[in-house]
Amino acid sequence: MTRQKVKLAYITNDFARKATNKKRKKGLMKKVSELSTLCGIEACAIIYSPNESQPEVWPSPVGVQRVLSEFKKLPEMKQNKNMVDQESFLRQRIAKANEQLQKQCKNNREKEMKQLMLQNLTGKGLHNLNMMDSNELGWLIEQNLKDINKRVDTLTKASHSQGSAAASSGTMVTPEPKSKSGEKVQAGRSDLEVNMDTMQRQQRITDLMNPQDHLGFGGDEMMPPFGDNNRNALWSNAFFPREK
Amino acid sequence: MMQKNPIQGRQKLAMKKIAKKNNLQVTFSKRRAGLFKKASELCTLCGVDVAIIVFSPAGKVFSFGHPQVESTIDRFFSRNPCLHSSNTHKLVEAHRNANIQELNAQLAQLLDMLEVEKRKGEAFEEIREAGRRKCWWQAPIDELGLNELQQLRIALEELKRNVTKQGNQVLVDSSHCWPFLAANGIGGGVFPFGNEGYEMDPASSITQMYKFGHQGLF
Repeated sequence: MTRQKVKLAYITNDFARKATNKKRKKGLMKKVSELSTLCGIEACAIIYSPNESQPEVWPSPVGVQRVLSEFKKLPEMKQNKNMVDQESFLRQRIAKANEQLQKQCKNNREKEMKQLMLQNLTGKGLHNLNMMDSNELGWLIEQNLKDINKRVDTLTKASHSQGSAAASSGTMVTPEPKSKSGEKVQAGRSDLEVNMDTMQRQQRITDLMNPQDHLGFGGDEMMPPFGDNNRNALWSNAFFPREK
Repeated sequence: MMQKNPIQGRQKLAMKKIAKKNNLQVTFSKRRAGLFKKASELCTLCGVDVAIIVFSPAGKVFSFGHPQVESTIDRFFSRNPCLHSSNTHKLVEAHRNANIQELNAQLAQLLDMLEVEKRKGEAFEEIREAGRRKCWWQAPIDELGLNELQQLRIALEELKRNVTKQGNQVLVDSSHCWPFLAANGIGGGVFPFGNEGYEMDPASSITQMYKFGHQGLF
């Protein structure tokens, strides 16, 4: 059976309407039955077709009577609490869909900002951000900086507590300055791993510099504006690896 | 973030009471909503009157009726075949159907927009995944070493300066339009990141989405 999107409006063609009515009534009854069985609950359905005086019911006229009397026994407030007609039911669904939409938009916005931040680290120009975007982006960067600082602290503490076992400058491929940034972090790793790490890092530094034309991060300066000389050496070594 | 759950999706279901209480409750919720939806469609498409009553596993009762649960139940009890067909009644019904048609249209539009946003979200995820593989600095912070973190920090601080500069520039440029804003600087303060913030800037295209919920759909 090919599925076609049905327009949700009264079917004016008598023949089509009767056919649809028959099929959908059957389907509805089936669904009520399944709900009752799967969840072990009481339910009933009453359907009056136009121009038919007798309704179709589920589970049976007796069954319906039973469920209805159970229903009527309840205090009126309970009866009415989850009672809907088409209008109120549609309004409920609209409210829910709207909530989901807002949530999804917010998610997408966050993802968009994150991408913007990551892409602009490599120096691609920031196009005109309106004030709202600038604020958000700035906030996101703040959050990331906080997380980074936290992690840097954690790692620095870990490496300090491990003592001199961490640093193994003899196995390094790139001549690194003796500043704090040069220390190896993961204590207890094999020399081979440390080597690979360094080589990877060198490659990564190069990656970070590419694919843009100049060294700066979104600035007009030719050199990264670091005050620390040692750090400068780190960058320039990576970018222009010395031929041995 | 959604991970693909191998258990999700259409399963062949044994037609007997569900064993796990949690699954049962979830199934009830979903199927009840689906049942009411089908009933609603039947009413619209074929002009039938219905009443459906469902007791929840917890003992609550849910009911759906067209035109009203009560009137249809009464009709059943009274075995009264004759329907009102006065002009007033017809007018009321026509009005109600017009409302319903409009609500259906609104719902359909919302669902379409939701679908669009979901696709967008998936696309962003793909870009992010690709980025993570290619660029080390896009990996989660927890996976980075000390060196990398410090480099990243420097890069981010530089970016931050640029962003702030941009933001201030926008303020200066538009200060002739919004003089009350130019007095505050953006600087390095706390940035608003909530729904309140979105409604302030009509220029941002994203905020149109947020406004949708407040524009009186009903």
